[in-house]
Amino acid sequence: MSGLSDEVLAAIDAIEAGPQGPTVGAFFDLDGTLVAGYTAATFYGDRLKGRDVSPAEFLRTVVTAVDGELGGDPTRIAHVAFSAMRGESEEAFADLGERLFRSKIAGTIRRESRALVMAHQRAGHTVAVASAATKYQIAPVARDLGVEHLVCTRLVVEDGQFTGATDGPMLWGRHKASGVRAFAREHDVDLSASYAYGNGYEDVAFLSSVGNPTALNPHRDLRSAAARLGWPVLDLSDPVGGSLIAAGRTAAALAGMNTGVVAGLSLGLLTGNLKEGRNTAIKLATSLPMTLAGVRLNVLNRERLWTHRPAIFVANHQSALDIPVLGNLLERDFTIVAKKEARWDPRTFVGSIVIDPAYIDRGDSESARATLDGVAERIRSGTSLMIFPEGTRSATPVLGPFRKGAFHLAAQAGVPVVPVVLRNTGELMRRSSFVLNPGVVDVCVLEPETDWSTDDMSERIAALHTKFEETLARWPA
Amino acid sequence: MSKSEDFERWGGAAAWTSGIELTPMQTLMWRAERHPVQSSTSTVILDLDRAPDWKRFVAATEWGTGLVRRLRQRVVDPVVPTAAPTWADDPTFDLGYHLRRELVSSREEMLAQAAQIALRPFDRSRPLWEGVLFEGLPDGAAYVLKIHHALADPLGTVQLLSMLQSGKRAHTARKPVGDEVAAPAAAEPVDLAVSGLRTDVATLPEAALSALRRAGVAATRPQAVLASTLRYGASVRRLVTQAAPASPELSPRTGKMWSFLTLDAPLEQLRAVAKQGGGTLDDAAVALVLGGLRRYHERRGGAVREIPVGVRVSLARADDLGNRFAGAIISGPIAIEDPVDRVAAVRGEVLSLHTERALEVLEAAAPLLNRMPAFVGAGALQTAAVPDAFVLTLPGPPRRRYMAGAEVQGMYVLGPLPGAALTVCLVTVGDTACIGVNVDASAVADLRELEECLVEGVEEMISVTASTSG
Repeated sequence: MSGLSDEVLAAIDAIEAGPQGPTVGAFFDLDGTLVAGYTAATFYGDRLKGRDVSPAEFLRTVVTAVDGELGGDPTRIAHVAFSAMRGESEEAFADLGERLFRSKIAGTIRRESRALVMAHQRAGHTVAVASAATKYQIAPVARDLGVEHLVCTRLVVEDGQFTGATDGPMLWGRHKASGVRAFAREHDVDLSASYAYGNGYEDVAFLSSVGNPTALNPHRDLRSAAARLGWPVLDLSDPVGGSLIAAGRTAAALAGMNTGVVAGLSLGLLTGNLKEGRNTAIKLATSLPMTLAGVRLNVLNRERLWTHRPAIFVANHQSALDIPVLGNLLERDFTIVAKKEARWDPRTFVGSIVIDPAYIDRGDSESARATLDGVAERIRSGTSLMIFPEGTRSATPVLGPFRKGAFHLAAQAGVPVVPVVLRNTGELMRRSSFVLNPGVVDVCVLEPETDWSTDDMSERIAALHTKFEETLARWPA
Repeated sequence: MSKSEDFERWGGAAAWTSGIELTPMQTLMWRAERHPVQSSTSTVILDLDRAPDWKRFVAATEWGTGLVRRLRQRVVDPVVPTAAPTWADDPTFDLGYHLRRELVSSREEMLAQAAQIALRPFDRSRPLWEGVLFEGLPDGAAYVLKIHHALADPLGTVQLLSMLQSGKRAHTARKPVGDEVAAPAAAEPVDLAVSGLRTDVATLPEAALSALRRAGVAATRPQAVLASTLRYGASVRRLVTQAAPASPELSPRTGKMWSFLTLDAPLEQLRAVAKQGGGTLDDAAVALVLGGLRRYHERRGGAVREIPVGVRVSLARADDLGNRFAGAIISGPIAIEDPVDRVAAVRGEVLSLHTERALEVLEAAAPLLNRMPAFVGAGALQTAAVPDAFVLTLPGPPRRRYMAGAEVQGMYVLGPLPGAALTVCLVTVGDTACIGVNVDASAVADLRELEECLVEGVEEMISVTASTSG
């Protein structure tokens, strides 16, 4: 299973079979299309929390919003919001955009939208986000998707502050369509061969500007229009939000993990074999919670997890879920490297008893080297190591750069590197969330790589990084 | 070959009239008519290459009215609106009342006379058409046919005329004649009202029961009913209020001074521009009119970005020439200079209408409005928002046709002006787009200037393909 619906796969096939190159445009709406939900609502929610909003402004906003729903001018709500921003610093607002992206919006990017964007990028198309939103909402998302062009509403900035006015019309409805047509003229894009994706009833004009429109998770009025107009409709799955049931299952999973640890360690104490006790604990502590939370694994090339042990397992990192997933995969005889400060962290304390990590003092390179020598020794004696070479969790499935540490260790210990690609763990458990959602985690174990040395390390790391990216882009069937 | 085609077409014409009652929408227009301000009359002007032999022309028309029964029928309205009006044979039908000929010296004179003919109301107790053959024109003749909407809408009129014409210049002997159907029982206003009332009373318990049932269902899920009602109301509000305001350059309108203009455009080039803009011929027609009006506004110094334009939207599938249409108003992007971009913008506006669930609101309300006194229906039509211009595209005959030995060289439809300053109809005749423009002369300060601008609007559209293909 590829994790993409058949309809999306068919759409991607059609993109690949169609004309290629930059004269073909691909225009994506933002709210409700690339991301689930409304980024403006996220921004407004933040304003409300910060009590930046007076009761009068709040009332005005609500009344305008309701009026827009009831057939009034739906763009007036945005103008109310823009004029409320008069005098605010553009820089601070852009920072807010980045902060909200990391904490909230990144987790709402639809996986299948990302796959469509990437399909267009592989075809060499000119990809743009076309939205009535402002660049402060769009830019972080576009950057994450590797989209260079924005066709969006611009706000007037004077002396670093918003004036509350827009530069040109708000790109909603017909204005978004004319914005896209103007973009096409400037960038030599042939609209009749181009693609557009949108979800709102106001997107009809935008969608009709191109030869290949798609109503994506359409609003009910767009859905009926698409049926009349004969436009394809794609329904993408939304990133799962933390439901109450999911929260309950997460709690059960945590309890399961602790039970597993205690049971495993008890067994080790009883039998007098601490190593076997640890292995049992790992097995119980990783498989119990995942079963309870409804997380299943779908593993390609599972045998490669066993053919080259001891080894250094490197994986991409998006979610706290990655650790139990890898623990479940590796099953036994492995450990991790952790920073020294994490030793007494209550959240990882129980786990650290089981895994017995190698702690590194980052502040003291002398002792760090000594520790790593010790780790290399441990590896050679049969304990595999699991490392996330990105160093930190990414907010989205976009792969960060690889650090070299893991590969130096492989060279030093003379063991192979086994690359493990994880997909959609970030969806089941968002970066800043404590809630684990049920679903399937796709795992692909790549060809193990042996004989690491410092001579060609950089090239090999780069090549491996590319392999990760390719696997994430085109999941092997 | 063309003879068998002719026979097939004529057979179609004989079957063209169906149903003896007016449809709810026809009824609404029939009862709400206040000619000429709220008129349902269309006029067709046919340019002929020569004046046909008058006797042959009369005989052909006689034959046509025999074939298409409705041309000899009148509308009988019940005394109180308990039933739909009915078609009934007019026992006093006299071709001489409906068909005559006149002599003019120029096309301008003919157009002016045609407008006057159109402005005069019908005798509603007779068949609803009037034809005048104008002779004496420098290059041939012209036949002007005025027809009521209840008998045929503009689309039906063009179809009917295309069907009745001949594929050849020579006379066809032994043409098919309509079946000698038993004439519908002579309808009488009081009888109609009584029988309508009787039907109402008979079906009343059933209707009351089903209304109660619907109310019961609604009561069980009030939220869904409320939400759907609000959405429908929102859609009505958008349709009525969100088009652009009327242009001051196209006001004040009285609706009582009609002036007819005709223009020609090569169809192939017009279609090519439409395709470049991703639109249809209808979109190109709207873009053409907007192009002309843009020039007019520019010359008069009026700075307007959008004007309300009335268009026809298919209620079935878009771009499908089915027969379920609704009229709606778009904001015509008058400020866009590039014709191709204008076509694309018009396309977007027209397709956006398909998200409106209330598009067929007038059609939906027609049966109810028809039970009310006529002024209620008239009021409903008046509250419907009024555009600056109506633009309509109609498919005409694909090849040249003949009428009583004269070749039809152009077919122009001049629609009514229900509140608009202009009504533009584009008819496709062979390889030509025949554009008929009815202008409210009281709303336009300089008619000649407007005509020049519209001609330039045509040239502007055509020059697009000339510059890109050549």
